[in-house]
Amino acid sequence: MPQDEVYEAMSSAFDQGAPVALATVAQTLGSTPRKTGAKMLVREDGSFVGTIGGGCGEAEVWQEAMDALDDGDARMVTVDLTEPVDGEDKICGGIMRIFVEKLEA
Amino acid sequence: MASSAEIARALLIAAREGPAVASCTVMGATDGVEVALGAKMLVYEDRNLGEIGGGPLEAAVADFGRRAIPKHLVQTCAFTPDGELVEGRRAIEAADAIVEILVEVVEPAATLLVVGGGHVGLAVGQLGAMLGMEVAIIDDREDYANEDRFPYEANVICGDFGDELERFPITANTYIVLVSRGHKVDELALRTVAERGAGYVGMIGSKRRTRTVLQHLAEEGLDPQALDKVFTPIGLDIGAETPEEIAVSVLGEIILVRRGGGAQPMSEHGRMLASIRR
Repeated sequence: MPQDEVYEAMSSAFDQGAPVALATVAQTLGSTPRKTGAKMLVREDGSFVGTIGGGCGEAEVWQEAMDALDDGDARMVTVDLTEPVDGEDKICGGIMRIFVEKLEA
Repeated sequence: MASSAEIARALLIAAREGPAVASCTVMGATDGVEVALGAKMLVYEDRNLGEIGGGPLEAAVADFGRRAIPKHLVQTCAFTPDGELVEGRRAIEAADAIVEILVEVVEPAATLLVVGGGHVGLAVGQLGAMLGMEVAIIDDREDYANEDRFPYEANVICGDFGDELERFPITANTYIVLVSRGHKVDELALRTVAERGAGYVGMIGSKRRTRTVLQHLAEEGLDPQALDKVFTPIGLDIGAETPEEIAVSVLGEIILVRRGGGAQPMSEHGRMLASIRR
C-alpha cells in the first residue's frame, strides 16, 4: 500500500536539515493490526506521520523512535499484543517486530 | 557511497512516480556477525544504489530484490552471511548465523481504470479505493460520470471513450476493468488499451459475447498475444451475483495477478478439525 506521506515527510524534514526516525514493521506473527512494511515516521518534536497499528504498541515504538533520534542507534523492538491489558483481551493477539532507525540528510 | 538523504530521495521518487525499486535493509543479525545495522541498498531493474557490505551476501540480496519487484513483495528474509537464502522458521532457527533483510518493493499506488460508471463500475471503483488504488472512472454519460455519483476519491472522466482512453497513461502498474454498458463500448475500449502493456485487462460479459469481441479484434489484426492476456469473462469464480459481489470477484482476480496466490480456500474444506481429533 502507498507510503507516500511517510516519504513525503522524510523528504521535507531533510530539506530542513532535520533528522527523522523511521519505524518499519519487519515481521508479524499471528494476528496484528498492520502488516510487514507498515511505517511510522517520527520527527524530533515528537510529531509523527503514518501508523504501525495504534494503541500501546505504537506508544512503545514512538518512545523507541525518540530514543533513536537521541542516540542514533538502530534497534529492533518487539511488540507483544498477546498479553491482556487491564483484564481485557487485546483485539489482535499477535507479535510484531519493528525496526527503528534514525535517518538524516 | 550513497548518503541516507540520497536514498530517501530515491525512495520518494519511486513512491511518487516509479520506476519500482526493491528497498533492502539490514535489520538484524545473529550475535557475532558483523553487519551495518540499518544499511540500505535500493535495487532497480538495471542497477543498485547504496550498499549493504558487499560480497556474496550483497549480490544474493540484490538478486532476490530484483526478483521481488514484479511480485510487489514486502517481506523480511533470512540469509546466511555468505549469501544463501534460508527459508522456513525451523531452518532459520537451526542456522548458525543469519542476517535479516527487509525487502520491500516501493512503487506508486496502482491505478485502477474503470471503463463504465454503471452499478458494477461504481462498486469496482469503491473496492479499489478501499484497497489503496488510485481510481479513475470513464463514462460518456454525464449521469454516470459525475463526482457526486462516487462517494470515494476517484478521478471521474466524462468524455468519448476512445479519446479519453487514448489519452490515459497506461503502465504495467495500471489495472483496467471494462464494465461498460455494452459490448460495442467494451470492444472499442479493448481496442484502445489491449496492446499498451497494462498490468491487467479484464472485460465483463458472457463467454459468448466476450469471445465475439476478441474474435473481431483478432480479425482486425490486434496482437493475438495481447488479446490472450485479457481476463474475460472477468473475475474469480465465487458465485458473485450483485454488483458489489462482482466487485469482490474482480478485485480478487486483480490481487491474484499482483500477488500470485493460489485462489483456493485456505482451509482444506473444513477437514482440519478431523485431523486434530485423530
